[in-house]
Amino acid sequence: MESIPIRMDRTWLNNFLKNMDQDAGWSTWEGYRLALEAADHQRIPDFDTLRCLEYVTGFDPLPHQIETAQRVLGEMKGRAILADEVGLGKTIEAGLILKEYMVRGLVKSALILVPSSLVIQWTRELNQKFQIPATPQKKEWMWEQYDILVASIDTAKRDPHRSKVLNRHYDLLIVDEAHKLKNRRTKNWQFINEMKKKYSLLLTATPIQNDLHELYNLVTLLKPGQLGQQTSFNTTYVAGKRKPKNEEQLRDEVRRVMIRNKRSDGHIAFTKRHVRTIPITLSPAERALYDGITQFVREQYQSAHSQLKSLLSLITLQREVCSSRDAAFLTLFKLLKRGTEGKDTLSPEITQLVELLRAVETQSKVEEALRLVQEINDKVIIFTEYRATQDLLIRALNERDIYAVPYRGGFARNKKDWMREIFQNRAQVMVATEAGGEGINLQFCHHIINYDLPWNPMRVEQRIGRVHRLGQSQDVTIFNFATENTIEEHIVWLLHEKIDMFRSVIGEVDTILEQMGLNEDVEKNLMRIMLESQDDTEIKEKLNILGDKFTIAEEEVRSEIERREVLMDGTQPS
Amino acid sequence: MEPSQVRSLALRYLEAYGCQIIETHPDYIESRLSIQVDKDLIHRPFYWMYVEKMGLEPQPATLLFTFEPGKAPPGVREDLLTSGAPRFQQMLLSARKNGRFVRLYEDNSRRVQRRDSLPYEPWLALHYQISFLCDRKKDDLVSLGIHLRTGEIVENFDQQLQHREWSHRLPDRRHTLPLLLSIPEAVGELEYWLQGWIEHQDLTWADHAMAQLNQELAQLHAFYPEEWRMSDSLHEEKKQRLRETVWQYHPRVEVETVGAGLFYLTSQKE
Repeated sequence: MESIPIRMDRTWLNNFLKNMDQDAGWSTWEGYRLALEAADHQRIPDFDTLRCLEYVTGFDPLPHQIETAQRVLGEMKGRAILADEVGLGKTIEAGLILKEYMVRGLVKSALILVPSSLVIQWTRELNQKFQIPATPQKKEWMWEQYDILVASIDTAKRDPHRSKVLNRHYDLLIVDEAHKLKNRRTKNWQFINEMKKKYSLLLTATPIQNDLHELYNLVTLLKPGQLGQQTSFNTTYVAGKRKPKNEEQLRDEVRRVMIRNKRSDGHIAFTKRHVRTIPITLSPAERALYDGITQFVREQYQSAHSQLKSLLSLITLQREVCSSRDAAFLTLFKLLKRGTEGKDTLSPEITQLVELLRAVETQSKVEEALRLVQEINDKVIIFTEYRATQDLLIRALNERDIYAVPYRGGFARNKKDWMREIFQNRAQVMVATEAGGEGINLQFCHHIINYDLPWNPMRVEQRIGRVHRLGQSQDVTIFNFATENTIEEHIVWLLHEKIDMFRSVIGEVDTILEQMGLNEDVEKNLMRIMLESQDDTEIKEKLNILGDKFTIAEEEVRSEIERREVLMDGTQPS
Repeated sequence: MEPSQVRSLALRYLEAYGCQIIETHPDYIESRLSIQVDKDLIHRPFYWMYVEKMGLEPQPATLLFTFEPGKAPPGVREDLLTSGAPRFQQMLLSARKNGRFVRLYEDNSRRVQRRDSLPYEPWLALHYQISFLCDRKKDDLVSLGIHLRTGEIVENFDQQLQHREWSHRLPDRRHTLPLLLSIPEAVGELEYWLQGWIEHQDLTWADHAMAQLNQELAQLHAFYPEEWRMSDSLHEEKKQRLRETVWQYHPRVEVETVGAGLFYLTSQKE
C-alpha cells in the first residue's frame, strides 16, 4: 500500500501544556508506570488470537463454538449466518464474537434483535456469561441512550421506534431467529436491509425451509451480490422450486458466509442415554380406585349424554390416578361440586369414587420413587405433570430427610434461578412440573425420573433436553414409571418401545407432528383413542397405527432435511 | 495474565491512589478505597453528588478482592479480579486516566555531593499506542524521547528512565536551561518520526484489507443495476451499502498518547 491514513491524537497536548503552565496536575512516577503497564495489559498484540476467552465467566466455550467465532472474525470479516442445529449454542457463538469486537474496540454500539419472548434471556446471557452491558429495550428513548440494546424485532420495525433505529449506525447487528427474514417482500426483511451496520450476524437453525430463494434472500441481506442478482441466481442454481443445480458451486458460495455445526459432526460429543422402565404394581386399594374411575369413564362415554370435552377431562382423571391420589382428588372434587350444584345424577357415582379414594393409604409410586432416589444416591430430577403430585413428593422426600426443591413454570425468574442454584449446590432432588419455555440447564444432573409422562412427545423431548444437552459430561439415565395395567403403561409403550423417544434425540419432533397433521392435538388424539376403544387390545392396535404413522412421518421429515442439508455442507444424500 | 500478576498490579494501584489496605491475605486483599478510587471503580455518581452537596462525611466502600473464585472468607462478598473482570478493567482505565502526565527531576543528591548548581538535560517522553485497523485490529506500543535542546530522538526511551530516583520539585543546587524546542514543536518532530516508523512496518495486512475492500465494492457494483435503471430508494440503498463496506474494511492507523512526561535527567558526565 502506498500510503496509509494515520490519525495522530493531539487532544492531550493542551492539558499537558496547562499542567506545565500551572505547575499542577502531575502524576507520580509510580502512577505513570501504572498507566503504561495498564496500557500494555490492554494492548491487543495481534489480529487473530481470541482475547474474549479471558473475559467469559462461569463456563467454558466448546471447541466448535470457539472455532466458529474464529472463522467469523477471520475469514468472514464479521458478516455471517450462524446456522447451527438447535441446542449447539448459537447464542454463545454470537456472544463470543460480540465480546471480541468490544474488547478490540471495533464495536461500541450493537443491536440484538430477537423474538420478544427471548429479550430477557439474551440480555441475561450477555450480562452474566460475557460481562457485556446489554440492556433490554423497553422505552422509546432507550434507542438513543444505550449502546448495547436487546430488542424485539416486532417492536423495532414499527414507528416510532423504526425511525430511531434507522437513524443510528450500528457497529454490529445480531438477528436471532433469522429465518423470519427469508422473504424479501416482508417488512422484516426490508427493515433489516435499511439499517446501517458494519458487521452483522444472522442466527437461524433453519436457513432453508421450503425453497432456495429463502437462502438467497438471507445471504443477500447479509452481503448483497454474494449470490449474484436474482435472475442469474435462478438460471445458475435453481432447477425447480425445490431442486437446485450446480450444487457443488452453490455449496461453496454458501460456505463463505454460513457456518452450520451439526450434532452428527463427530467433534461434538454427546453422552449416552440409558432408559429403564420401572413397573409399578398398584396396591389393592389403588387398583380399586383406578378400576372404579375407568368404569365410570366408560359408563359416561356410553351413556352419551356428556359432551366430548368433559369426557376428555375424565381421561385426565384416569391419568391423574396413575400419578397420585392427591392429583386425582382435586379433579374429583370439582366433579363432585359440579354434580351437586347442577343437581345432576352424577353425584352418587362420584361419591363412591371419593370413598374409594379415601381408602387409598399408601401410594406405591411414591414408595418406589423414594426407594429409587436413595438407590441412585446422586442428583435426580423428577418430572411430574401435576402440582399436587409435586407437593406430595417434596413432602415425602423431606420426611425421609432427602433435600428436595420444587420448580415450576409459575415461579418468577429469580426464584427459578434460586431453585436451580440450590439444586446444584445443596439439594439432591428437584421436583419439576415444567420443562419447556426458556427452561433451565441442568447438565450437572445425570438422572431423570419421569414420574408420569406428558402425552406430547415434544414435551418429553424438552424434559430430557434439560439434562442431556451440550456440556453434559456423563451418560444420562432416564427412569420411566409405568403403572401396570393402566393407560400409563400404554403411553410408556408407545413413547418408549414404539417410537423410541428416549434413547436418542429425534429432533424436529414438532415438524414430524406437523407432518402428521397433529401438532398441538397429539394429546387430545391420544385421549380420544383411550376413550373410544372398547378394551386394551383395541387401544394397543390404535396406538400401534399411530406409532407407525409417526415413524413414516419421521422418515419423510428426515429425508426432506437431508435434501436441504446437502446444500449447506459437504454431506451427500445417501 | 496470571492471578499473581493481577494481584500485584492491583495492590500497587490501590497503594498508589491512597487506599487503605486492611488485610493482605494470600487469598485476598481487603481495602477501604480512597474517595478518588471509589469514584473511578464504583459507579455511583448520585451518592457522591449527594455527599458533596450536603457536606456529609464521605463513606468510601470497603472491598475484598480475590484473584481466584471462591477464595473469600465465608459470608463476605468477594470482588473477583481476573484479567478480564470488569472491576480489573476499571482499575486499568483508572490507572491510565490518572497516570498520564508527569514532570520529574532526577535526584542524585544523595549519591553526589557538590557546591555549584548543575543544569539538567530536558527530555520529553511520549508513550504511544499505535492501532492498526481494518475489519480487525492490533496495537503496538512505542516509547520515544526527544531532547528539548538538541532535538535528538531516542527509541525505547522508557528503558533509560528505569532505576533512577525522582523528585517532584527542583532539587537544591540544580537549575533548568531554557528549552530550545517548544513542546508542540517537539511533539511535531516525534509525530514525523513516528510516521516514518509506521510506514516501515509490515503493512501487508493493509494491502489485503484494501484488496478485500475493492473486491467487495466491485461485488456491490455488479449487483445493483445501472444507475439510470435504479429508483431513488434503490440508489440510496446502494450508496449506503458502499459506505458500510468502506467503514468495515478501510485500512488506517490510529495513534493514541498513553503517557507524556517531562523528564529532567542528570547529564552522563556527572
